[in-house]
Amino acid sequence: MDIFLQQLINGLTIGSIYALVALGYTMVYGVLKLINFAHGDLVAFSAYVGLVVMMQLSGAISSSVIIILLTFLVTIVVIAISGVTLERIAYKPLRKAPRLSAVVSALGASLVIENGIMLIWGPRPKIFPADIVPNINWNIGGVYIGLMQLLVLVISFVLMFVLYFFVNKTKLGTAMRASAIDQDAARLMGINVDKIIMTTFIIGSSLGAVGGLFIGMYYRGIYFNMGWIYGLNAFVAAIIGGIGNIPGAMLGGMLLGIFNALISGYLSSSWALALTYVLLIIIMIFRPTGILGERVAEKV
Amino acid sequence: MNKKYLSYGIFFLILLILPFFLSSRWVSVATTFLIYSAVALSQDIVLGRAGMFNMGHALFFGLGAYSTAVLNTVYGVPILLTIPVAIILPLVFGILLAAPIVHLRGDYLLVTTIGFNIVFTQALKNNIFGVTGGPNGIFGIDVPKIFGYSFSSQTSIYFMAFGLLLLTLFIIRNLETSKTGRALHYLNEDSLASECVGINTRFYRLFAFGLSAAIAGLAGVVFAVQFSAVSPEAFNFLQSVLFFTIVLVGGPSSIEGVLLGTFFMFVLPEIFRQFAEARYLIFGVAMILIMIWRPKGIWPAKFGRIPKYVFKD
Repeated sequence: MDIFLQQLINGLTIGSIYALVALGYTMVYGVLKLINFAHGDLVAFSAYVGLVVMMQLSGAISSSVIIILLTFLVTIVVIAISGVTLERIAYKPLRKAPRLSAVVSALGASLVIENGIMLIWGPRPKIFPADIVPNINWNIGGVYIGLMQLLVLVISFVLMFVLYFFVNKTKLGTAMRASAIDQDAARLMGINVDKIIMTTFIIGSSLGAVGGLFIGMYYRGIYFNMGWIYGLNAFVAAIIGGIGNIPGAMLGGMLLGIFNALISGYLSSSWALALTYVLLIIIMIFRPTGILGERVAEKV
Repeated sequence: MNKKYLSYGIFFLILLILPFFLSSRWVSVATTFLIYSAVALSQDIVLGRAGMFNMGHALFFGLGAYSTAVLNTVYGVPILLTIPVAIILPLVFGILLAAPIVHLRGDYLLVTTIGFNIVFTQALKNNIFGVTGGPNGIFGIDVPKIFGYSFSSQTSIYFMAFGLLLLTLFIIRNLETSKTGRALHYLNEDSLASECVGINTRFYRLFAFGLSAAIAGLAGVVFAVQFSAVSPEAFNFLQSVLFFTIVLVGGPSSIEGVLLGTFFMFVLPEIFRQFAEARYLIFGVAMILIMIWRPKGIWPAKFGRIPKYVFKD
C-alpha cells in the first residue's frame, strides 16, 4: 500500500508537469489544427534559459525565494517571445497551405531549436543546482513528499485553475473558444483571429516554460534533445484526453503520469515507455477521439 | 510521354554507371540512398496516395530487416530464402495493425502509428523472445549467395539496391495506372464522396498499408545485407519522421518528388558532414523555407488535365 501511495504521489507530480506541457499542444491544436512539434523543444529551451538565469542571479541575490520568482518571470517572458516568433516565422506563412506542410515546418522548427540549444550549450547534459529549493521531505504515514513535489503540484493546479477560469469566463477566452470552433465565423463577429492565435502561443509557451523549469528543478539533469521525449509524452497526454480539450489535457497528463509511475514501481521501468504507448493505442481503438472527446470542429 | 521515358532512361543510366566513379564510402551512401528511396516511395503509397498520416513506417522497414537477421543468424537460413518471410511478415503486420485504426482521422492516426513504432523499438531493445539481441542489435549477417556468386562487394550490394528501386518503381507505376491507384487517389481527395460512389474505402486503405509494408520489408532485407547488422536505433521513431518528411518535402504522390526528397533529406546531410554540428540547424531552416515557398513539395504531382474553363481567375 505504501508503494502504491508513494508512486501515486510521484505520478501526480510528473503528471502535472505533463499536463502543463500538454496544455500548450492542445491549445495550439484547438486554434490552428496544427501539431506544434516544436513545443517540446521550447520546453527544453526554457529549462536551459532558466538554468542560465538562475546561475546569474544566485551570484547576486542571496534569498532563494526571490531567485526562483525572478527565474520563472524571466524564463516565461523569453519563452513566450520565442513562441510568438516561432508562430510568425514558421506557421503564419502556411495558414493557407495543406495541413501537412505546416507539420513539416513544425518538425523543421523543432530541429532548429534542438540543434540551436546544442550549439549554444553543448551536447553534454547540464545539472541544475541542488540547493535552490531546500531538500525538505515530510513523512506522512510512511509516504514521503518533498517540498519540490509540493511546489510542482500546487503551482500546476493553480495555473490550470486560472487557465480554466480564463478560457471559460473571460471575453478573451470566449473569443479563443470561438476561433477554435470556426475561424471565419469568429472573424465575421469582429474577433481579431491573428491576435487570438498570438495569445494562444503566449499562454501555451508560458505554461510550457513553467513545465520546462519544473523538469529542470525536479529531475535536475537536462539535455539538449530532451524536448522530444517530454514533448511526445505530453502530446500523448493531450491526445488521450481529447485534443483541443483543456480539461482533457489536464486529465490526460495526470493519467499518463500515474500510469508511468505505477508501471515503473510494480513492473519494470524498461517496459514503461512501451506500455504507455500500448495504453495510448488501446484508448485510440475504443475512444477514437480521446477520453473526454475532442473540442475541434470538423468539416465534412 | 516520350520525354518522360527518355529522362527516366537517362536517370537509370546514370545510376548504372555511378558506382564505378565513386569511392567506396560514396558507393555506400548511394546504396543507402537507393534503399531509402524505395522505403520513401512505399511510405508515399500510404501518406501521399491514400492520404493517411502514417508516422511509423520505420516499423515495417525494421520488421523486414529483423526477419532476415533473426532467421539468418539464429536459425541459419540463407538470406535469399528469408526474403519471402521478410515480405509476408510486414504485410500481415501492416494489415493487422492498420485494421483497428484505419478509420481514425488525421492526427489520431499519426499518433497511433508513432505509438506502434515506439512499442516496436522498445520491444527490440528489451530483447523480446530472446532473439533480437537487445539494444545492440544483431551482428554478422551472412552475404547473400546465388548460384555460387556471393554479393560481398560494396558494388554488388549497390546493384541489389538498384534492383530494389527498379522493382518499387515498377510496382508504383502499375499502381498509378490501375483501378486501385485511382481509388486511392479518389479517397484521398474526398473519402466521403468516394464511399458514396461505391469505393470500399476500408479495403483500399488496408490494401495501401499492406502494399507499402511489404515493399518496406523487402527494402529492410537489402538494408540488413548492406550493413550486415541491424540495431533498434536504425528503425526508431526518428527514422519514421525522416521518411515522413522526405515524402512531404519532395512532393506527395510524385515519384520524382520523393526521389528528390530522399536526395535532399539524406544525401545532402552526408555531403555537408564536415559542418557536423551546424548542419541540422541549417537543415531545419531549409525545411521551413521549402514549405513556405513550395507548400506542396519541391516537385509536386500533377494529376490529369483539368480543362481551363473549370478555373476562374
